[in-house]
Amino acid sequence: MKLAGAFLSGATSRLLPASIPLRFFGAAIASHLLAWLALLAGSEALPRFAGGLGWTLAALHLVTLGVLAMTAIGASLQLLPVATRQAVGSVRWPALIWWLYTPGVAAVAVGMGAAQPVVLASGAAAVVVALLVFVALLAKNLVGAKGMPVVVAHGWIALASLLAVLLTALSLAFAYVGAPIIDRGTGLALHVVLATYGFMGMLALGLSYILVPMFALSGAPNERRALASCALAALALALAGAAAFGISPRPLRVIAVLAAAAAVAMHLQLMSVALKTGMRRELGRSFRLVRIAWALLPLSLAAALAVALDFPFEGMQTLFGLVLIVGWLLTFLLGILQRILPFLASMHKPPGKAPPRTPSSLTDDRPLAVHFWCHLAALALLALAIIADSAAIAAIASVIGAAGASALAVFFMILLQRMRRPHSTIRVRNDRVA
Amino acid sequence: MHIDVRGLPPPAPLVRILQLVGSIRDGTPVIVHHDRDPQMLYPELAELGWAAERIDGEPGEVRLRLEPASR
Repeated sequence: MKLAGAFLSGATSRLLPASIPLRFFGAAIASHLLAWLALLAGSEALPRFAGGLGWTLAALHLVTLGVLAMTAIGASLQLLPVATRQAVGSVRWPALIWWLYTPGVAAVAVGMGAAQPVVLASGAAAVVVALLVFVALLAKNLVGAKGMPVVVAHGWIALASLLAVLLTALSLAFAYVGAPIIDRGTGLALHVVLATYGFMGMLALGLSYILVPMFALSGAPNERRALASCALAALALALAGAAAFGISPRPLRVIAVLAAAAAVAMHLQLMSVALKTGMRRELGRSFRLVRIAWALLPLSLAAALAVALDFPFEGMQTLFGLVLIVGWLLTFLLGILQRILPFLASMHKPPGKAPPRTPSSLTDDRPLAVHFWCHLAALALLALAIIADSAAIAAIASVIGAAGASALAVFFMILLQRMRRPHSTIRVRNDRVA
Repeated sequence: MHIDVRGLPPPAPLVRILQLVGSIRDGTPVIVHHDRDPQMLYPELAELGWAAERIDGEPGEVRLRLEPASR
């Protein structure tokens, strides 16, 4: 039997059924839209946001839990078994994670937005249980990994960070009902650093060592330099963690930022080499988002340094959070998501005897163009809203962001529709999605 | 034409196979000797209009025959 897709005998042993990763990606895309709408509801507080219940906090967690972590779970459940040469095991556990995690995130968002601590705490409990199951699956995969030491090293640090994030999240959530586990200031500092640079950041950097060379069609990045970058990032996280416990906070935070800057410089140099030496030079609009995110990653460290040195600007912490979460993590993830969605979808067999899909035949580029410009405009306007302390600009940014998120949802629905249709009926408008 | 990518770290097998396929102008089939089922190769091959067929190989080997899909 001759096939042009991933459906050879035994080929599916390391592939989850398409419905598993797609349900995570679908929930992430829905959360993305809801996050912008929540931000619109909380736009009054956004320019000087520094925590506290309300729709701004709900929007923040719809991005971090609903978009970033949701996508990271779906992508790592699908990609890590392929990369580390292992069978995926039972699909019941990934399905259980989704059924616990998705309503849990919704409850967390509603609990935060409507200031309902009991709803928040119950949602947080569901999220924690779901993420603990994910931790167990991830740990099992990393323990049995064959090869890919760079990805595995990043995976272990992301996993350790996630465990600490869960502990601090529970402490912060239960603080609202009067039962914190650790001091709120310490818990918050740990939570912010380990959730963003630790869990999501290390997964993003680690998976980049598979995805970027794969899409650019280049050789594997230099392993020693990649491991050195990983070690420096781990050092930075450890120093920031120690600072959160009050151990020489200012000097340790400054050293942590410098170590992180060195790690990022090495990582970006390796990514630059991969792109320059790859067979595929034109990577399209999705990689323009990735390049912008890469530029904003060091900028987030500069903002972190400004926060550590008490830069005299009232909105500095909010600006730092914006550059880090929306600028670096969300922009990077949306760029990668647009690229991997058609690719992963094309790895799965279409229904019946239909011939397999190609990634370009599943991609409609028009909604992605709308999303691209809306995302960048919303990001720029949010920065302006913080600098100018303007709730009105924040509200406009949220509306534009929601329009972009809607366009991304249209792209996803078209992709699902094309997956179900015979190949011959798909009118491909993009000659070749670069 | 044969290509042996066993033992190479990812994504080197993918890149080398696609480099070879991209250089072929007359549709000569390619026999790939791999140590794993290269799932990420298939969408890329499909984009180039090529197809893969699994054929018998040595124990522990994944052997594929690649050729233009129109054949």
